[in-house]
Amino acid sequence: MDKMIYSILSVKKDPEKLDTLLRSLKGIAGADLYAVSSDQISAVVSDINRPDLIANNSNAIDYAGVIETLARKFTLLPMRFGSVMDSIGSINNMLVKNYSEIQNNLQKVENKYEFGLKVFCDPEKLMSELSLESEATNETLQTSYSEMKTSVYREYVNEKLKEHKKEEILLSYVDSVIAELTEFLSQLNTLKKIKKMTSAKNIIDAVFLLKKEDKNELIQAVEDFQSKYPRLNFILTGPWPPYNFVDITIK
Amino acid sequence: MNNNVIDQSKDITILELLDRVLNKGVILTGDLVISVADIDLVYLGVKLMLSSVETMEQLKSGKLINTK
Repeated sequence: MDKMIYSILSVKKDPEKLDTLLRSLKGIAGADLYAVSSDQISAVVSDINRPDLIANNSNAIDYAGVIETLARKFTLLPMRFGSVMDSIGSINNMLVKNYSEIQNNLQKVENKYEFGLKVFCDPEKLMSELSLESEATNETLQTSYSEMKTSVYREYVNEKLKEHKKEEILLSYVDSVIAELTEFLSQLNTLKKIKKMTSAKNIIDAVFLLKKEDKNELIQAVEDFQSKYPRLNFILTGPWPPYNFVDITIK
Repeated sequence: MNNNVIDQSKDITILELLDRVLNKGVILTGDLVISVADIDLVYLGVKLMLSSVETMEQLKSGKLINTK
């Protein structure tokens, strides 16, 4: 029977605590969980039949639930769903072979939480409002539009120019929010990954890794951002195990 | 705690969770077998960058993804 790996964790402080915790949990398809260990690191696994390895909501939630529960007690590296090896021996070899890289990653995420922040807007409404504000302070642009002689071609060019200008204004606005966010995060010495304009509505998609004790400060800051930018919708999720901050491909 | 900030929306949480579980985390090189609901088994290289929603849809439509 194959072995499904949920996470690799550090058990340097209390290996017995892990065994006790695993006895109280169940893995996918109700399977028992157990640890395969090498020195101070352990892989948490369960037996699985390959046909049971179904990527549906229920299994994904069960899988994430095991990782989440473990993360409350241990520093860990979450594995991607579907990480399967054929035997305990193979897992043991994998731990030995990748030991230092695993330890480096465990140190990087120790005592830290991951949070996700998505910022949404109504793009048409926001672009229109920003454009109006911009035009109010930039009469030159308004004049140049109105002075152009009317023709189908000029109307088309004007429309395109206006659209381009609106997009520029929106991008500049998003950049200014990101700059402010980045400045705040740098004060917390936070690892971050920020993507902008992942869709028309999702203008910022970011993940942070920060010290556990800084959690409340982050929440307060996002509340402040929400108050400052009422036209945007800030959605903070977490704390998550450090899914986005494990930089390792194990063999 | 302000619900506008810490969103409790089930949908968003599940999407975020699926994105992490299927897209992120430690990658184990090799091949594995995943089946999606009632769909035939699909062979995937583990390094494939799965996008949770898109992948589910692709798999449900029966599209085979070969990363070898």
